[in-house]
Amino acid sequence: MLLIGENINIMNKTLKSAMKDKVKEPIQKFAIESQKNGVDYLDMNIGPARKDGVELIKWLIETIREVSNLPLSIDTTNIDAIKAGLEVEGENAIINSIQATEEKMNILLPLMKQYKCKCIALLIGKEGMPRDVNERGALAAEFSSKIDEMGIPHQKVLFDPIVLPAPYQQDQVVATLEFMKMFKEMFPDFGSTCGLSNVSNGAPEKLRPLINRTYFMMLAKYGMEGAILDAFDKEIIDMAKGEKETIKNLIWKATEEDIKLDDLSEEEKNYVKTVNILKGKSLYSHSWLKL
Amino acid sequence: MALKPLDIFKLLPKTNCKECGFPTCLAFAMQIAMGKEDIKKCPHVSEETKAKLLQEAAPPMKVISIGKDNEKINLGGETVMFRHEKTFYNSPAIGCIISDSMSDEEIDNSIKNTIDMNYDRVGVTLKSNIIGIKDDGKGKFIDIVKKTSQTAKGLILMSQNPSILNQAIPLCKDVNPILFYADTVNYQEMGSIAKQFSVPIVVKGKSIDELVDISKKIAEMGVENIILYPEGSINQVYKNLILIRRAAILGKIKELGYPVLTIPTFMTDDYLKETMYAGNFIAKYGGIILLSKLTGEALFPLFLERLNIFTDPQKPMATPEGIYEIGKPDSKSPVFVTTNFSLTYFIVSGEIENSKTGAYLLIQDAEGLSVLTAWAADKFNAETIATLVKKSKIEEKTSNKTLILPGMVAQIMGELEEELPGWKIVLGPREAAHIPVFLKDLSST
Amino acid sequence: MSIQIPEPGYTGKIKEITIGVGSKAVTVGGQSAFNFHTFEGQIPHQSLIAYEIPDTIPDDWMDICKKPYQDVLNDPIGWAKKCVEEYSAKILVISLISIDPIGMNRPASDVAKMVEKLIKEVDVPLLFWGCDNPEKDTETLRLIAEVCDGKNIGIGPVVDKNYKQIGAAAIAYKHVILASSPVDVNLGKQLNILLLELGVPENKIIMDPTTGGLGYGIEYTYSVMERDRIAGLLQQDDKLAFPMICYVGREIWKTKEVSLSSSEFPKMGNQEERGILMEALTANILVSAGADILVMRHPKAVQLMNEMLEELK
Repeated sequence: MLLIGENINIMNKTLKSAMKDKVKEPIQKFAIESQKNGVDYLDMNIGPARKDGVELIKWLIETIREVSNLPLSIDTTNIDAIKAGLEVEGENAIINSIQATEEKMNILLPLMKQYKCKCIALLIGKEGMPRDVNERGALAAEFSSKIDEMGIPHQKVLFDPIVLPAPYQQDQVVATLEFMKMFKEMFPDFGSTCGLSNVSNGAPEKLRPLINRTYFMMLAKYGMEGAILDAFDKEIIDMAKGEKETIKNLIWKATEEDIKLDDLSEEEKNYVKTVNILKGKSLYSHSWLKL
Repeated sequence: MALKPLDIFKLLPKTNCKECGFPTCLAFAMQIAMGKEDIKKCPHVSEETKAKLLQEAAPPMKVISIGKDNEKINLGGETVMFRHEKTFYNSPAIGCIISDSMSDEEIDNSIKNTIDMNYDRVGVTLKSNIIGIKDDGKGKFIDIVKKTSQTAKGLILMSQNPSILNQAIPLCKDVNPILFYADTVNYQEMGSIAKQFSVPIVVKGKSIDELVDISKKIAEMGVENIILYPEGSINQVYKNLILIRRAAILGKIKELGYPVLTIPTFMTDDYLKETMYAGNFIAKYGGIILLSKLTGEALFPLFLERLNIFTDPQKPMATPEGIYEIGKPDSKSPVFVTTNFSLTYFIVSGEIENSKTGAYLLIQDAEGLSVLTAWAADKFNAETIATLVKKSKIEEKTSNKTLILPGMVAQIMGELEEELPGWKIVLGPREAAHIPVFLKDLSST
Repeated sequence: MSIQIPEPGYTGKIKEITIGVGSKAVTVGGQSAFNFHTFEGQIPHQSLIAYEIPDTIPDDWMDICKKPYQDVLNDPIGWAKKCVEEYSAKILVISLISIDPIGMNRPASDVAKMVEKLIKEVDVPLLFWGCDNPEKDTETLRLIAEVCDGKNIGIGPVVDKNYKQIGAAAIAYKHVILASSPVDVNLGKQLNILLLELGVPENKIIMDPTTGGLGYGIEYTYSVMERDRIAGLLQQDDKLAFPMICYVGREIWKTKEVSLSSSEFPKMGNQEERGILMEALTANILVSAGADILVMRHPKAVQLMNEMLEELK
């Protein structure tokens, strides 16, 4: 499992002002905490960063490097900022992300080849979000042809099948699972990852980790090899590292078959109910655990 | 349901020879799975495999193209029962019937209406796509065919007279005219004309069984393009349209996997009622809808319904970016700004209009997202708004320099004030319905 | 039949809700198939049309809609009686536009007094619809609930912000709740769960999915309603197996498209018939999607729609 911590993100209010005023301390605190919890990469999400991307990414890398040796993933749409990041980090970095459109692939794949780094291949095409499992497959096929054309090794590419929020787009949550079922067979030597936390976007705050963990294990059942996730949720990291075997097995079983709730503990019930939402068996509502 | 891409992929040679036009066998397999490509394009799979795939992976409903040039449209090709399951693809062709018992003036008017009655809505032209030409034995049929074929729109040749049809088809062959109709009695004769000219033919039946039976016979004659026409009362037709769609999509019954013709005007003499029937057939599952006449009061609502129902649920309609003048704004009018989600545009512009106060509405391209979603996705923020305000040169139109921000995004007010010095940024209401009251208060302060 | 057409596999049934009391009471819901699908399930009660009656002069109504009610514009009770006597209305919606704090802001107690008189003079079932201000609606609907004790009326819109207060009043006086959610299946389900948890009986909830008119988001309402109905009938989701109400007239008659005059916009055809058709067409496809009660304005649109309901039953 390749775990990328998502917490260094300009959407976070504290970090946003830290990035604006170039205050290192809050960012370093996040980096240290993420590393301590056991993630393998740190994502640096600086948003569109239209004006000051280059300067910001350089400063951010420098800041993180003072406290952490973890490899970094560069998360911005500013091409110059990506270049600047790769200039420093080289083949250890991940470009997060490249959409499966001609325009984005033509600009970013040469960079990726030049620096021998990895990338996250986002299954969003010129028509926007994929609508079903087949559209995801078609985009992945396009991307992989392009990768072959460029002579980039498959292992450098992590496909992201797009995780959408269960509270709003339950069908798409199921479609991503369906896609993962066929992924390994169709794209055997490519990697995979996903923006996991989005699955619980819009759900009650305190229940989000439950959805994230459950979905991650369900995806893992079908071969998902990593995630960009909340590094501050120690439990999901432990789970990913195989420390919660019984819960994982329960989730896997519930994913395959309908499980009776009667003999389960409260915690187990909650996981099974959440599986039922994420596999599309019952329609999401904020009170799904109470039903 | 359709075959899984993996199953298709396994049947392909996996040589990535590119002869199908796709870079890899995998990419080709995905296209077949989506129903967008045909296995026939691969020269290397065995005939046996092709036959197997064609059987299993064939799209559930045939696509038939009618009309030509700018008027060319597709009928059929649907893959789901409910639009939320994916989308409805090809909206029904709507048009009127012109019969040869009408006066020349009436005929010319109907043709003129077919061409003229169109409406622009967010960059889309809503228009009529088809004409039914009815042979009442008055000898003007061929004349009407000649005239209507100039419109480039689809035509339905509603005549049972083989000699007239033989004469008419060559006159309008380029719009792929539809023969109307084959039934239990005449299917052999009509089917052979359809076969001879390779044009689509309507199969008429009172029951599903009858439709299956004739459709099968016609297909066996080698006619590829069939259109089903279930006859009866609104109650029977409504039911049969649902059963036909189910049979095609869920049952893969190929005899019913075709677009469906409906003729509300044959079901009632009341024009308003006819329009109501047509409204039913847009949503539940007409492929062609023929009316007695085209009038704005009926056609515009039907076109709107068709546009709405056939909007892809995953891809909301978007309004082009730019300045919209609502009411009669002048150099003292305020400027509203919002995103290009069409629904947002229509509701906001409608409420400004209701306020009877002129204003400018600045629409920002946010990939068709609504205000809150666009803001969350960082596609509608102080920077993007400020860029648009400058780029649009709205300052040349109003010296008032009051910019009204949607109430939902109060948090970007401060930033926007920084980005747009000299502008007065005012927070608008959270609900569009409160715009009239808001504007009243604004003008009184 | 020579071929086998797959059936949808209905497993559920929509709950039956009765509104009103005595011989004029009406019942909606109870169906075990999609609306109009009489060929494959039970549709025990036809969908109903509720005439919309403003509780004060509706200044923002178009003349086309005011014309039929010219004699009763400032008399909600007279208006209600007219709808029952002249148009044979089986159910009415009293639209409480006068209470809106950003409009007339009439005190709740004044409205309650009017309602007290109204229920003495009109015996068909009544629904009361607030002004979409959750606080003012709560205050007003609670009073109305009390005044109408024993009449089994419907009150709404009940939203996530005021469901507890209005819900409690509905439970106490045994009324029906019109539960309103913003065009979203998940939020609709959530509100029903909350109301049931509060103790609202299963036979006292009608869902309002929020109506978008033709050209103004009808496709969202349409699909949300189809999904609600599929959940209730095919997917054993009994939290969504409730009848639905659509507030059609208001959404149609405020649009720009009905206000364009025939003379200025000849391509738009006859203005009055255009508006009537827009209202009736919207109602029509919403019944297909699952609507059990339609709130409508123009008598001619109501008549057209009633004929459709009769022909498709």
